[in-house]
Amino acid sequence: MLLKLLIFPGFLFLFLCALFFDWVDRRMLARFQGRVGPPWYQPVADLIKLLAKEDILPTGVNPLTAAVLPMVSLAAVLTAGLYIPFGAFSTASFEGDLIVVLFLLSIPALAYFLAGWISTGVYSVLGGSRALLQYFSYEVPFLMALAGPAILAGSWSITHIVDYQSQTIWIALMQPLGFVLAIIGLIGKLKRDPLDIPKAKSEVVAGSLTEFSGRKLALWHLTMNMQTVVGIFLLVNLFMGQSSVFGPIPAFLSFGLKSVGILLLLSTASALYARLRIDQLATLGWRVLAPLALVQILVATWIGG
Amino acid sequence: MASPLRSLAYLLPQLWRALKEGPHTVKYPFDPVELPAGYRGRVIIRAENCRGCSMCVRDCPAFALELEREGRDAYRLIYHPERCAYCGQCELSCNFDAISLSNEFVPGKPDRKDLGVVLVNKEG
Amino acid sequence: MSKITVPIGPQHPLLKEPLAFSLTLEGEHVIESAMRLGYVHRGIERLSQERTYVQNVHLFERVCGICSHIHTTTYCQGVEALLGLEVPPRGLYLRALLCELERIHSHLLWLGVQARNIGFDTIFMYAWRDREIVLDIMEDLSGGRVSHAVNIIGGVRIDLTTEHRDVILRQLDTLEPQIETLLDVVENERSFQARTRNIGVLSLEQIRRYCVVGPVARASGLDMDLRRDAPTPPYDRLKFRVPVRYEGDAWARTMVRMLETVESVHLCRQILTTLPDGPTSVRAKRRVPPGEVVSRAEAPRGEVIYYIRSDGSDKPARVKVRTPTLTNLITLPDQLQNISMADVSVVLSGVDLCIACADR
Repeated sequence: MLLKLLIFPGFLFLFLCALFFDWVDRRMLARFQGRVGPPWYQPVADLIKLLAKEDILPTGVNPLTAAVLPMVSLAAVLTAGLYIPFGAFSTASFEGDLIVVLFLLSIPALAYFLAGWISTGVYSVLGGSRALLQYFSYEVPFLMALAGPAILAGSWSITHIVDYQSQTIWIALMQPLGFVLAIIGLIGKLKRDPLDIPKAKSEVVAGSLTEFSGRKLALWHLTMNMQTVVGIFLLVNLFMGQSSVFGPIPAFLSFGLKSVGILLLLSTASALYARLRIDQLATLGWRVLAPLALVQILVATWIGG
Repeated sequence: MASPLRSLAYLLPQLWRALKEGPHTVKYPFDPVELPAGYRGRVIIRAENCRGCSMCVRDCPAFALELEREGRDAYRLIYHPERCAYCGQCELSCNFDAISLSNEFVPGKPDRKDLGVVLVNKEG
Repeated sequence: MSKITVPIGPQHPLLKEPLAFSLTLEGEHVIESAMRLGYVHRGIERLSQERTYVQNVHLFERVCGICSHIHTTTYCQGVEALLGLEVPPRGLYLRALLCELERIHSHLLWLGVQARNIGFDTIFMYAWRDREIVLDIMEDLSGGRVSHAVNIIGGVRIDLTTEHRDVILRQLDTLEPQIETLLDVVENERSFQARTRNIGVLSLEQIRRYCVVGPVARASGLDMDLRRDAPTPPYDRLKFRVPVRYEGDAWARTMVRMLETVESVHLCRQILTTLPDGPTSVRAKRRVPPGEVVSRAEAPRGEVIYYIRSDGSDKPARVKVRTPTLTNLITLPDQLQNISMADVSVVLSGVDLCIACADR
């Protein structure tokens, strides 16, 4: 059990995946833009460099809160990662773990907001409030989109949803709308381009993380990268579960390929669009995505029920 | 106007093209960069042509050239690359085709004093 | 909601050059702005009085880091007028060639900065990738990517062989479709438009009141371009359109600049194919007879004006530079009223700030 927790598919595996995904993403984006991109060890080098840097906190910031926030969010993401099966391997599973995972995955958003709020810098405060606004815009359609597979499979357990797909086909094919909404929601959750509004460089410098440095910043970056991995794994499980239609490919391999595929989709999206304004995102979230997600749920209930 | 579906991912053909064409960047510190023949780099001199007329010194907008005169024909022409703006005015001002700009970089040095070069040293 | 004051600059990722804004925000809404200039004041006008006319050519090249050639062109034009020099046509054509190349370079650079500021890094990279072709042409031509040191009083320093001309024509052929692609993207890409349409709108009346020049004025419907309205040779013999749009917003400015870039490529081709033979420069005297002159030219950002007064020595008695950025900057407090914090970057880069120009 301890081995499962710490090495595979637990902490170490997620950590390596985070670094690898970060590299693939940056490399891919660079190629889309006609650049070379970083070498494979760049994420490791960045992490080591940040860990070695001096840790500075501005006066007026509670040092305990500032230290606890990145740790809490990292812990939340790792815990969420435990309930997400990787191919045929899973650490823990119970009925309703999807809801727990979704709760755990929204803790970093809250911590991110708090990190901006406790800071004394104006950019951090602005970034923090933007993060919260963004959270309200993407989270509702995201949750509703993820409810689609659960309703279809008649279970709130990720393993059951995967099992359901092994008898039929990918839910992404049955609910393409839900899949697209989930991807958009995930982009919003990960604060990636084009929804990197809370950390928009030309507007709020680095958002909540402006005043962070050294180890804490490294932890924040690691959290973000881990969140990418966990979010992608979650989507793969829910929408592209192991299906017998595609023949006897080992679950391990096909799961990895599917995850990288979603990652490439995210990279493409970040190369395709300009950053939205926060009010445009709110409009998009509530006027377009949320009604579409509602339609999706109604259809799923009608089919599933 | 483009069709609504196309405008959802307008740049996609461009992304594909960039992928096919590969990177356009120059890997400068790892690969050498080709400088054109007319590149304005380090100042060089044909010492045999130099008469010490100091026209280049007078016209240098960055005061990068210095003439130390010790007699009628004894002088030293000193070049300070750290001040040089690589504008090529010395080349234009020279009436004897002596001073010119070559197409090579001036590499950096830890101390700016080490950069100075004595271009001509005539002892009468 | 409480008000907070957000400093933008002198160091901020949005600004490429130091300029300070103090924005008073209510939530995400800008309600007040105060501007501070002068961080890159180098005293160039005063310095020029200490240097000879010849040295000043290279000094004024350093007024601006992007449109360096147009500054020396305007300065040399003025000094040549004082001297009563007739610059040979080949020299004038080569000067104009570099002016147009510089316009392409400047506008592409600007498009990159604008795209970067709205978080559209792909356009940023593409624009700068294409700009590299222009920089290569200019480097081959003059020996420098940005500081060309091409102008001398009485003409230009460089000359062009027929083979070199054909090489440049071929490079322009590869450049043109790429610029047209960028133009197409700017015109049709939805997220780009979502961020730039109806942002920083300036009416024709405001443009007139603030004496705004260049693409910013042309984007608001003011049809003026010195190259056409007060042409110096060789522009009186070249055919080109002056793109004008009437929306007056950041998107219209982008469109005007990109259309101008396409026109500039055509102009470069015309110049190269109709390049007259003959010398490229004439010898100029070092002492300039007393007198004063106002010299104007259309820089990428608008009209640049040099006032030169000579007292008969080999050093100017006074050189006054009026750069287009200075007049365009004045519109910023108006544009920054009642917009979202996210649009500040679009507005600031929309007028194509060149702080080095404005501060001198």
